[in-house]
Amino acid sequence: MNRTCFSGSNRERFGGYTMISVFTLLFCCLGALAQSTAPAEHANPAFSVRATHLLGFEKTKNNCDGILSIQDDLLQFQQRGKPGAQVKIATVLDVSLGGESKQVGGLPMKLGKAAAPYGAGRVVSLFAHKKYDTLTVEYADSDGGIHGAIFQLTKGSGELVRNELVARGVSAVSLDEQFAKQSTAEVRNENK
Amino acid sequence: MKTSKRSSWIIWSTAIVAITFASPFGQTAAAKPSDAHNSSPTQWSVQVDRIDPANLTIASSFQVAIYENLLEELNKTKRFNQVLRDGDRTAAAAPNLLVLKTTVTRFVPGSETRRAVTTVSGATKVTVRTQLVTRDGRIVLERRIDGSVRFFGSNLRATHNLARNIAKAIKQSSWSGSGQPS
Repeated sequence: MNRTCFSGSNRERFGGYTMISVFTLLFCCLGALAQSTAPAEHANPAFSVRATHLLGFEKTKNNCDGILSIQDDLLQFQQRGKPGAQVKIATVLDVSLGGESKQVGGLPMKLGKAAAPYGAGRVVSLFAHKKYDTLTVEYADSDGGIHGAIFQLTKGSGELVRNELVARGVSAVSLDEQFAKQSTAEVRNENK
Repeated sequence: MKTSKRSSWIIWSTAIVAITFASPFGQTAAAKPSDAHNSSPTQWSVQVDRIDPANLTIASSFQVAIYENLLEELNKTKRFNQVLRDGDRTAAAAPNLLVLKTTVTRFVPGSETRRAVTTVSGATKVTVRTQLVTRDGRIVLERRIDGSVRFFGSNLRATHNLARNIAKAIKQSSWSGSGQPS
């Protein structure tokens, strides 16, 4: 009776050791992997963010969602399941950041608001809006012709992309920051 | 039996005669537009300059949106041989080149939320002075054109409406490519 109990606890202890050794091995492997990938990331840092292409980027539909990425010397926009369009960062002339507040919900929401009685739709509109960043990129094609592309990104992401591009030598326009202040002033003046 | 044979022969011969006569008429009808096209005095190309904000503070996204929408709408008119971008080196080789200059004269940014809440306020309005200029600096067309969003749509939609209005004004103008001002 005692012997069987002893052998059972032995087995548990053996299982515990095995588990510990497996976990240790796993951590070691992960550590090794992290060490081996870290220099590669540093050498080739890719940056990507979800964005909506509003207009202007070559070979890309207007108002489509995708991934805006910066890799090596390329700025790329890729729609889901389609080959990406890309421009060389060296050809980018200017990048500027703006802000926009848009109503959310699309057409169903619009219809719902219109159908709501006693002007309740207007109250919904008051809260159903979201702020976005707009990133404007101006670049030149192979003939020297100037293109402009506008991307809509979630609030805060635009600045990351702009900083990433600036870090790679693109000049940034700070006009929009002044504009944001002035536009609100204009709107106030219009109300008076 | 005899009558049916005769009637089928008549039908066949009528069909052949109709086809024979119809084809040259069809050709002339089809040729008419191309003749008219060929008879136009000169085929001009246009180069769209970047938007000049003048002394107004207008967001880069608006300037770029007007520029890009203008290129798209001018291409749609099919009035010009080529629609070239600002800075395009091939413009130097274009024989008959016009330059489209657009200067913003008034800009009200508006707000989509205000439009949705109040309906009557928050409109986005852009007014521009647009000029078609020849290489030697002669103005062949000058217009003051508005674009706005009053009810539905994002603020940038005003730029699309503006570009469409500019293209429409160019298309409807009495300027026929002869270089005469209108």
